[in-house]
Amino acid sequence: MPPAPREMPDEPPPFLGTWPRVYTAVIVYLALLIALCYVFTRAFS
Amino acid sequence: MRPLDWIVLVGSLASIIAYGLYRGRGSNTVDRYLLAGKTMPWYAMALSIMATQASAITFISTTGQSYVDGMRFVQFYFGMPLAMVALSATAVPIFHRAKVYTAYEYLENRFDAKTRALASVIFLMQRGLSVGLTFYAPAIVLSVIFGWPDRLTTLIIGITVVLYTVTGGIRTVTWTDVQQMIVILFGLVVALVMIFVLLPRQISFLDAVHLAGFAGKLNAVTFHFNWNDRYNLWSGLIGGMFLALSYFGCDQSQVQRYLTGKSIAQSKLSLLFTAMAKIPMQFFILFIGAMVFVFYIFEPAPMVFQRIEYNRIRQPELRPRYDPIAARYQDAFERRKAQALAIVQARHAGDTRAENEAVEGYRRAQQDVDAARRQGASLVETTGGEKGFRDTNYIFLSFVTRYLPTGIVGLLIAVILAATMSSSSGEINSLATVSVVDIYKRHFRKHATDHHYLTASRVATAFWGAYAVAFAGLGKHLGSLIEAVNIVGSLFYGSLLGVFVLAFFFKRVSGTGAFAGMLAGEAAIFAAFLFTGISFLWYNVIGCLVVIATGMAVSYVSPAASATPGTAR
Repeated sequence: MPPAPREMPDEPPPFLGTWPRVYTAVIVYLALLIALCYVFTRAFS
Repeated sequence: MRPLDWIVLVGSLASIIAYGLYRGRGSNTVDRYLLAGKTMPWYAMALSIMATQASAITFISTTGQSYVDGMRFVQFYFGMPLAMVALSATAVPIFHRAKVYTAYEYLENRFDAKTRALASVIFLMQRGLSVGLTFYAPAIVLSVIFGWPDRLTTLIIGITVVLYTVTGGIRTVTWTDVQQMIVILFGLVVALVMIFVLLPRQISFLDAVHLAGFAGKLNAVTFHFNWNDRYNLWSGLIGGMFLALSYFGCDQSQVQRYLTGKSIAQSKLSLLFTAMAKIPMQFFILFIGAMVFVFYIFEPAPMVFQRIEYNRIRQPELRPRYDPIAARYQDAFERRKAQALAIVQARHAGDTRAENEAVEGYRRAQQDVDAARRQGASLVETTGGEKGFRDTNYIFLSFVTRYLPTGIVGLLIAVILAATMSSSSGEINSLATVSVVDIYKRHFRKHATDHHYLTASRVATAFWGAYAVAFAGLGKHLGSLIEAVNIVGSLFYGSLLGVFVLAFFFKRVSGTGAFAGMLAGEAAIFAAFLFTGISFLWYNVIGCLVVIATGMAVSYVSPAASATPGTAR
């Protein structure tokens, strides 16, 4: 039952070069989404 | 449903399952059956994660939630990207490198066997309760449409899901999830387009959005903080992040998806893609609910959307109580419609003053509609109906079956059934994995052949499928199903999250400390649930913090216990 030994290297991401940059991009994206939701709420309330 | 609906429904589902079984062939070892031999690409994992999370409840209940309460439920997902980033940086590499089948297996490596066993049992209890609800949602669909008994519907769906999950394991589950997610997204777009097609000709897209906004249905962000308020920016960011950390980091139904990845990078990408896609997707679903609300401004909506109860309160013996409420509802509906048309006219004419006056009248009429609906629900409740009766889960389906053309109805029913199957298959698969790996193999049969454990996994899958079908009826008593599922999860997730935080970041905490912490965390969560009005999103925060504090305190008092780590598997 134990799985065959596999190497699990932490490869670099396919874009932005490093994982911290990818994480930052995701958080910036979240901030942008919240801002858009806020604008949406204000515009139509 | 007409013949074309049946063709679309059966054709969509049969092709999805056939494709999944084709892709899942060769799952003849435990490693392939439970982890797909770690061969899955990121996009398949990401769509599978999204499909597992997006159950039929998501479409039935979320749209109704938006119709009744507006779009503020979207804030519930704001914490998810933060959680996904944290998990990608911590849990994903740790689980992959530990070469575990389940998240709880890692706890024995780090702490001891009893901590692993307790975490496994908490997961089985929590997920076992939720999987029944997952099955119940489509049973509502078919009972509304055909009047079929809930139990029969649940049984048919359950047998289908169990058959393909038992046969193909996680590889079939993942590839069917991918197909199901594609059908779901397509169906949602079609539903929104159809709503706009069905609106009166003089109502433009912007008019419809404004009408929803004036009625308070587009409240996507609310800053007001209140511990008892379920959905605001703060509870979404903090509470939602803790819930997402728990769900994606400690719930085997999600962890197992990204453990199938080819590499750590592929698993990370799958989580980050999910984080980025989830909020827009939920926004879209909630927006559909808000547009259904606009549609019903111009089309007479039943005062109570649950048809059976609606017919019951209109029986002759209840007419003296029903008629005044119905008259009030009808009057409010007509006034709201007139004011909505006045708003549109004023907007088109550029007359701001007239528009503002119409908006005032429109809002007053909306309040009267809401009040009449509350009275209707109260009438249901006080005349033998269910306590705490709510018709949220019936709103979208009533619209689909009554107003959408043939073929589209079949497609949307296929969407709802596909969502049920994708969620429940993942849940059943993970329940079976934990039962076999963390309980059966660890405590009852340590040294058997691979074939034996493969058979045990298939038997466990069938068992959990049967269990889910048996407990599906519980959903009837839980109001809005989307909230019920999240509340059930929140009763258990906080302590699971706490123990993983201890495992990852607190090197000096012992197994006994972690075990005591989990018990204390559960006690704190149930105390908050039973004796306070604190919103369920905060249970995860409370549980997690209590586990960490107790785990550290017990480890400080009895540090010797940390000297006896167990051996996994």
